[in-house]
Amino acid sequence: MVFNSLSFLLFFTVVFLIYWFPLKNTTKGQNIFLLLASYFFYGYADWRMLPLLIIATLIFFYLGKAISGAKTEKQGYWLTFAGVALGVGTLLYFKYFNFFIESFASLFNAIGLQTNLHTFNIIMPLGISFFTFRLLSYIIDIYRGKAEPTNDIIAFGAYVAFFPCLLSGPIDRPAFVKQLQAKREFNYEQAIDGCRQILWGLFKKVVVADNCATYVDKVWGDIGGQTGSTLVLAAVLYLFQIYADFSGYSDMAIGVGKLIGFKIADNFKFPLFALNIADYWRRWHITLTQWLTDYVFMPLNIKFRDWGNWGMILSIVITFVLIGMWHGANWTFALFGLYHGLLYIPLILSGAFFKKTKLKTNKLGLPVAKDFGRMILTFVLVVIGLILFRADSVGQTLEYVSSICDFSILKGPWLINRLYYIPQFIFIAIMMIAEWQQRTKEHGLVLDQIPSKILRYCIYGILVILLIWVGGHAETFIYFQF
Amino acid sequence: MEKNQILAEVQEIFREVLDNEEIVLNDATTADDVEEWDSLTHIQLIVAIEKHFKIKFTSKEILSWQNVGEMIDCIARK
Repeated sequence: MVFNSLSFLLFFTVVFLIYWFPLKNTTKGQNIFLLLASYFFYGYADWRMLPLLIIATLIFFYLGKAISGAKTEKQGYWLTFAGVALGVGTLLYFKYFNFFIESFASLFNAIGLQTNLHTFNIIMPLGISFFTFRLLSYIIDIYRGKAEPTNDIIAFGAYVAFFPCLLSGPIDRPAFVKQLQAKREFNYEQAIDGCRQILWGLFKKVVVADNCATYVDKVWGDIGGQTGSTLVLAAVLYLFQIYADFSGYSDMAIGVGKLIGFKIADNFKFPLFALNIADYWRRWHITLTQWLTDYVFMPLNIKFRDWGNWGMILSIVITFVLIGMWHGANWTFALFGLYHGLLYIPLILSGAFFKKTKLKTNKLGLPVAKDFGRMILTFVLVVIGLILFRADSVGQTLEYVSSICDFSILKGPWLINRLYYIPQFIFIAIMMIAEWQQRTKEHGLVLDQIPSKILRYCIYGILVILLIWVGGHAETFIYFQF
Repeated sequence: MEKNQILAEVQEIFREVLDNEEIVLNDATTADDVEEWDSLTHIQLIVAIEKHFKIKFTSKEILSWQNVGEMIDCIARK
């Protein structure tokens, strides 16, 4: 059930009404209802995976208590270790098992050994990477003394399966359980802001991302038949697509959370305006990078701390390969992570990594030339990385890059229909201009600087008309597959 | 060594590593209170503190501190 579908609208209307009317005065009742609604939401996508989610929730709930009550430091360590092994093991089995078998088989074949390894028909549960990370952070934080185990299994279950974030994040931390235990009052301002954020998310997803997808998918479907300039255009459009798709999804999730009284963690902070790669990753998929910073990068960096900058580089490269692999079982994702990790090396060695980057603007409110240049460079580096990300195989990436480096790059790019694409570029421009104006705000549609109510409503109205005009079919989200 | 003495020396290390002479620490100070103190500079601070006091922290100790006070207590125990 995607957010931009009628079935979700129906589902959420029912949830909203029951949650705020009959259950208004009972936090416990609201939480039980949220848990059941979340399980229904998950089961609606694939009911066969519901038992896994419930069993994993129960195991980690009791594991948290056991770690907290451990009699010795060693016992706590081993219980946490067992939990991490279980969580990571489940993820490896469902997501990477066939990948490892295929990789081993091709390795053995390459060195001349005949193998008889078979892959299995494993169905990957939706959202597994997201809820496993929520479960893992719970037990690790308890072990580190940063969180207390909860006695409230309903609130814990609702934290793990919270339907706005279940399939594609943001990945909230165990402190979210406290929000679930606190009494929620309906806040009109917050609810209206939630609606605005959902509207902005819908615009990015339905109007920008899904339309970019039409072009990008056509080009990727026939790389060999395209001119170099077409491939460059498709690569650039893919960055706009994936940004609008995933940040649009996150805006919608956060907006839905606001409507039922929750503050979900921010996931994007206008990454297309980043001044270098480190700045980009501080703004892109923030809850994932922050998660890996706390639980992978920091422990590694502490271990390698006596090796100076090279210890840090090693920690970053390992973390980024894992970030890449988190997206799926394919060498392209590992190389995507490695590519980004390596891009940190000049930043670390030059010391730029440790300096906070502050964007400077000129009198017109535009970035100064130097910062604009840095923005474009970062943009180009990210676009190049996304070729690896989008490709099905390393071979396809090479085909794509070598086809770009061709004399056909001098010809104009192919456009399916010129009239169709002019609005598309206008939509991207609207998104970029609006987000540039709003870059210090929480999302793209906080219009408190516009005093005229009529003007604000006109803007909302135009966005709704665009949604109806351009949209009309519920496309799924790129990040559901991760 | 007195905790106050440790706090004064740690504050000096913070000022030097983070290149900000205005940093004032107390037991309740956290990374949220000092702009330059993030997950990256944290490691630089730890290396400088270990070198200064000639001690070695364990990974778990480093990852469990919630504020400067807990870090000072840990140094005092060494």
